[in-house]
Amino acid sequence: MHRHPPGFRGLLLALATLTAAVGLAVVVGVLLFWLVRVWVHDLPNYLLLLTTGLALLPMLVLFRRRFPFLSDWYYLLPATLFLLAFTVYPIVLTMALAFTNFSGKNYGRPDRATETAVTFVAPDTLRFPSDPARALQCGDSCVGAQLEVYRGNDRARQTVTGEGSTTLTLNRAPAFATSTQAGQLYVARISNYHFIGFRNFTFILSNAATSLWPVFRWNVVFAAGSVLLTALMGLILGVVLNDAKLRLRNFYRTALIISWALPNIITIQMWNALLNQQFGAVNRLLGLLGIYSIPWLTQTDWAKLGIILVNLWLGFPFMMTATLGALSTIPNELYESAQIDGASPWQAFRGITLPLVRTAFTPVLLTSFAFNFNNFNLIYLLLPQGGPAIPGGMATANSTDILISWAYKTAFRSEGGSAYGLGSAIALIIFVVTVGISLINFNLTGAFKEEAR
Amino acid sequence: MRLARTAVGWLIALAVIVYGALLFRSMVASVPHSKAFGSVFIANGWLTVTLSLVGAVMVLLAYSLIYTALANRARGRSRTPWPLFRQSVTHLGLWILIAVVYYPVLQVVGASFDPRNNLFSFRQIKTTNLLVRAKVLPDLSQASLENYAKLIEGVLVPAWQWVLIAVLAALLIGALGLGLGRHWSPGAHRLERWQNRTLLTFAVLLFGGLMALSPSQFTGMSTESHFVLWARNTLLLSGATGMLAVLLTASAGYAFARFRFPGRYGMLMVFVFIQMFPGFLALIAIYYLLSTLDLINTFTGLLLAYSGGVISFGTWVFKGYVESLSPSLEEAAMIDGASRFQAFLRVLLPLSAPMFVFIFLLQFVGTYSEFVLASLVLTGVKSWTVGIGLYNFTTGSFSTRWGVFAAASVLGSLPILAVFYGFQRYFVSGYTAGAVKE
Repeated sequence: MHRHPPGFRGLLLALATLTAAVGLAVVVGVLLFWLVRVWVHDLPNYLLLLTTGLALLPMLVLFRRRFPFLSDWYYLLPATLFLLAFTVYPIVLTMALAFTNFSGKNYGRPDRATETAVTFVAPDTLRFPSDPARALQCGDSCVGAQLEVYRGNDRARQTVTGEGSTTLTLNRAPAFATSTQAGQLYVARISNYHFIGFRNFTFILSNAATSLWPVFRWNVVFAAGSVLLTALMGLILGVVLNDAKLRLRNFYRTALIISWALPNIITIQMWNALLNQQFGAVNRLLGLLGIYSIPWLTQTDWAKLGIILVNLWLGFPFMMTATLGALSTIPNELYESAQIDGASPWQAFRGITLPLVRTAFTPVLLTSFAFNFNNFNLIYLLLPQGGPAIPGGMATANSTDILISWAYKTAFRSEGGSAYGLGSAIALIIFVVTVGISLINFNLTGAFKEEAR
Repeated sequence: MRLARTAVGWLIALAVIVYGALLFRSMVASVPHSKAFGSVFIANGWLTVTLSLVGAVMVLLAYSLIYTALANRARGRSRTPWPLFRQSVTHLGLWILIAVVYYPVLQVVGASFDPRNNLFSFRQIKTTNLLVRAKVLPDLSQASLENYAKLIEGVLVPAWQWVLIAVLAALLIGALGLGLGRHWSPGAHRLERWQNRTLLTFAVLLFGGLMALSPSQFTGMSTESHFVLWARNTLLLSGATGMLAVLLTASAGYAFARFRFPGRYGMLMVFVFIQMFPGFLALIAIYYLLSTLDLINTFTGLLLAYSGGVISFGTWVFKGYVESLSPSLEEAAMIDGASRFQAFLRVLLPLSAPMFVFIFLLQFVGTYSEFVLASLVLTGVKSWTVGIGLYNFTTGSFSTRWGVFAAASVLGSLPILAVFYGFQRYFVSGYTAGAVKE
């Protein structure tokens, strides 16, 4: 280890030098990329990552000569760079998008629905067959709108500066306006997304009674119910299978973790078929018991119960293993001495087993809650439609949807209309809730207490 | 005060139970009186089952009483029959539980061998076995490998791959034989070592062979005939993500565990809190980034998209692991003239192999089941993963592809099943060593 400049100043110095090194590397990398592209055309853009990485190596060596203490930070560099590029940057972009109306319609490309055949009156003036504001769907006036003007392979992006009854004036003439090339000239309006303030959030809140609130409530009930049921079952099985006198207990342990050992992306989709009301294997089994076909997946409450039961099937092996792991740390002598002192098995359980399991289980329960809170695979793959609709709710927020599947459907499914901005806003809400849960988690488990020294 | 809190807790629990019971009653009342098609409905069948369960418990009770009485008389001691009775009832309960847990698995495995390949089947089965007639047990009278054949339809296999398949089969049989040998002569460590070697060779050859598959070999017209290619894609992605996780987190976790630089706590916080943003919600942004880099529909792109999500957890776990190791070994190496980095590379990394296996396996299993990012980035049939392929079966005309879905499910589950049972102790010890700190 090298002498590191102390305190906050040292931290700033380290961060500044590292940023400088990486920044320089990016500049050199881009230059290199351009240089290579002069000779080799059609280079894929991802080579930029390679050239930047190449440029970074000598940069790091150079910087270390001058600031030897940086070598400590170099250990963190690979992970940090990947985090910055593929996590932090997308997160920042998502946060920014939450305040825009970015969507399938407004995504910064020419809107072909507004494509109009035009002619040049002057190099910077276009003549329209009719009212340009109507043809381009600009609203009241096209002034300030961005257009794409194209003919054959020539295209240019211009801004409208003036408007006549059938003409539009551009900020400058397209480069190809004076060429004599034949072919029809077209123009289309570029529909850009723009900043709309808190409108996405006020939209969500104004529909809170039929979308946000029911979805959130079910989300909490689902996560809490799943955790409690799996923990209860895991606890009971763990205690039963921890009994050293039970024969075959290793067999039972191995056999019962099957649902944890199968990939859930497959098993969840399998349950979708098994829970079918008319043809599903579950209802066939229940028929033998004299129970009528239960509308799993089609009736709100039964669908919710079905989800929790499937999650119980998926989740109890983990809880069982966690219990067994916690119990294995209890020395057998404790029980023996308790027995000698005349304690009943129940007293031994309450006095020895429960307190220990409780401390070991707190972080497990909270992690499991946080995981289930965002358990997209289960909700979305078991019921892709999200169950029956909530009366009066949004098309993307059905009765078994949780926040995360709601956000996904808003942004990526046809019923959401590719509302990326709105989806990002929901994502931000989830982020706030998840951080809240995690803060409680850290407070209860004290995971960071020893770190904060 | 404590009493009041306990009372409030119980009251809340009671309220939840009462509310749940009322809700359940109304749910039961709302179930329409219809029966599953092609099934057997036995009115009050639950009564029969309950009574036979009670009967079974009675038999066990009688057995315990008689056995204990006989044993007591034969050996001249006086033990109570209750421990034996409790254990037998436990066994009964566990076997019922196993039956319930394995029921869905059994159904899917059965469907994968059923050539009729139809989920929406009205057909009645003529047999005297009630369970088969009710289609609770799969009807295997017409069992065939047709569904599996559809998964490899039109796959061109060059000669060297046939050789590889033969070698793989021989290795697998050899490993099974060695396993049996170990079973009969326990304590033979040489057999165990050879079995491990055989299995390792098998895994390496299988992985290498799969990676050498080329998409041009798959000439089948149907979607499902690309299954082997999907399996290759999934294994490739999962393996690469696991490797990347180990590579990226090892040095970072080490730095957090051993170095005391200013801002260490802050950086640690940043690492942990970034992870809480549900990664795939930044999907829009990730998609935008990947398309800018020309990486859409490439495995590299998807791997980079996954890389963000693997770092925080791995770093945190590895940091916990390094802290549990004594620094004296590295210090000794450094006194002997090694640099800090050499100590990290030569001393610490070899010691950390079990933790790396854990981090690798966790990411491997996690990536295998990842759905959203993969479905968004991988657009062509030939670059799909197993999970996306299966999703395609369920969203299309699911009813007529049920058998193919089942066969693909069975084959697609095998790698994870093997990894999980093969490395079970790593999963268990990994969680206790790093993640869950007492």
